[in-house]
Amino acid sequence: MTTKEWRRTLSQAGDLGVLHVLFSGGEPLVRPDLAELVAAAREAGLYTNLITSALGLTRDRAERLKAAGLDSVQISFQAAEASLADSIAGTAAHERKREAARLVRDLNFPLTFNVVLHRKNLGRLESIIALAEEVGAERLELANTQFYGWAFKNKEALLPTRAQLEEADRIAAVAKVRLRGKMDILYILPDYYGDRPKPCMNGWGRRYLTVNPVGDVLPCPTACEIKGLHFDNIRQHSLAWIWAESVAFNQFRGTAWMPEPCRSCDRREIDFGGCRCQAALLTGDAGNTDPACSLSPHRDVLNRIVASVQEPLESEGKTASSNASAWQYRINPGHSVT
Amino acid sequence: MNDEPHNQALSPGTRPRLAAKARVQTDKLSGKLVLLYPEGVLLLNETGAAIVGLCDGQRTFQEMVTTLSERYGSSPDRLSADVAEYLDRLRKRGLLDLISEGDGQ
Repeated sequence: MTTKEWRRTLSQAGDLGVLHVLFSGGEPLVRPDLAELVAAAREAGLYTNLITSALGLTRDRAERLKAAGLDSVQISFQAAEASLADSIAGTAAHERKREAARLVRDLNFPLTFNVVLHRKNLGRLESIIALAEEVGAERLELANTQFYGWAFKNKEALLPTRAQLEEADRIAAVAKVRLRGKMDILYILPDYYGDRPKPCMNGWGRRYLTVNPVGDVLPCPTACEIKGLHFDNIRQHSLAWIWAESVAFNQFRGTAWMPEPCRSCDRREIDFGGCRCQAALLTGDAGNTDPACSLSPHRDVLNRIVASVQEPLESEGKTASSNASAWQYRINPGHSVT
Repeated sequence: MNDEPHNQALSPGTRPRLAAKARVQTDKLSGKLVLLYPEGVLLLNETGAAIVGLCDGQRTFQEMVTTLSERYGSSPDRLSADVAEYLDRLRKRGLLDLISEGDGQ
């Protein structure tokens, strides 16, 4: 999409009543016109968040984003220790991220420190929290890996054991209380260990929309993994039309689409049947109840995966933080690896 | 930022200030005020908006209560606890800095 097309999209989002924009990716810094898009978003009345690996965030770039009115920056980290973090990232990124975090705080941006948690770094949660405090993050997002796409292919290497997870839950809960009012901690449980699904996107077509780099408008960032679902494009339709009228947004909106056990469940408007992408991935039909719910008739699929990872993997040996890579790295087409 | 008095209790001379990351904005659909912050939105009712509007880092808590009691014709004693509770909720979300008496800015 061109700069002009993005500006028009952002303006339409403001008119539609959207309050926040997350410039995410891929990596949004690969767009040279990012500051211009931030300015357009501010003009439309949006609160602007940059979600970045921080690779490529030079002082000049950061200052231009500040001048454009960028409200907040989120940097992804992989761990607190450079050796582990770099082995997870697949590139020597950790020190550059720390420098970028310093730069972000120097320029008085509120900083969110984001870590995707999995088998290799979950045992190092205390050091991760300590690093987030050290760099002056105001918000810490501890997101246990959810298993779609690339992560699903690597689930044996990434899914933590129940014991690992219970210890991490405890550490996160203690830190949350200790840091209240100073650093806001969001700890996201992994679906595979829950009894009830997460209220994915707070309900399909209810709060969120994603416009991808080619202008397709999606009800969630990973919705394009659902085979057979057609997405309308911002070049052909207005955002307001797509939000209200498009087939993709109406497909799973509300509760009428729900099968049992969701349809008669008293939580149907609390968790909205869970995640459509996960239902599609694990049951072959996006219209099924998310197997992350223990009431799902397909729950066995998930239970079998969880049971298969409870013993230490061969590659893990005796050390908790073995650096041996047991996964395939994700390649973002046309982008640098984040 | 670590030297800021995040966890201090509210006293009459404390000057509450909306955190830099938070921004008040009018919601185009409802016409009501909302408080925006990283990945969050807080809908402000009339009283909430009035309280937030006074968190400028200049007024003390006591002055805020006086102003609000004049505006709503309510006794300062009755208002004080409610305002303190509202401010405490904002503080716990990291949306408020509490500048204690004697602190410079």
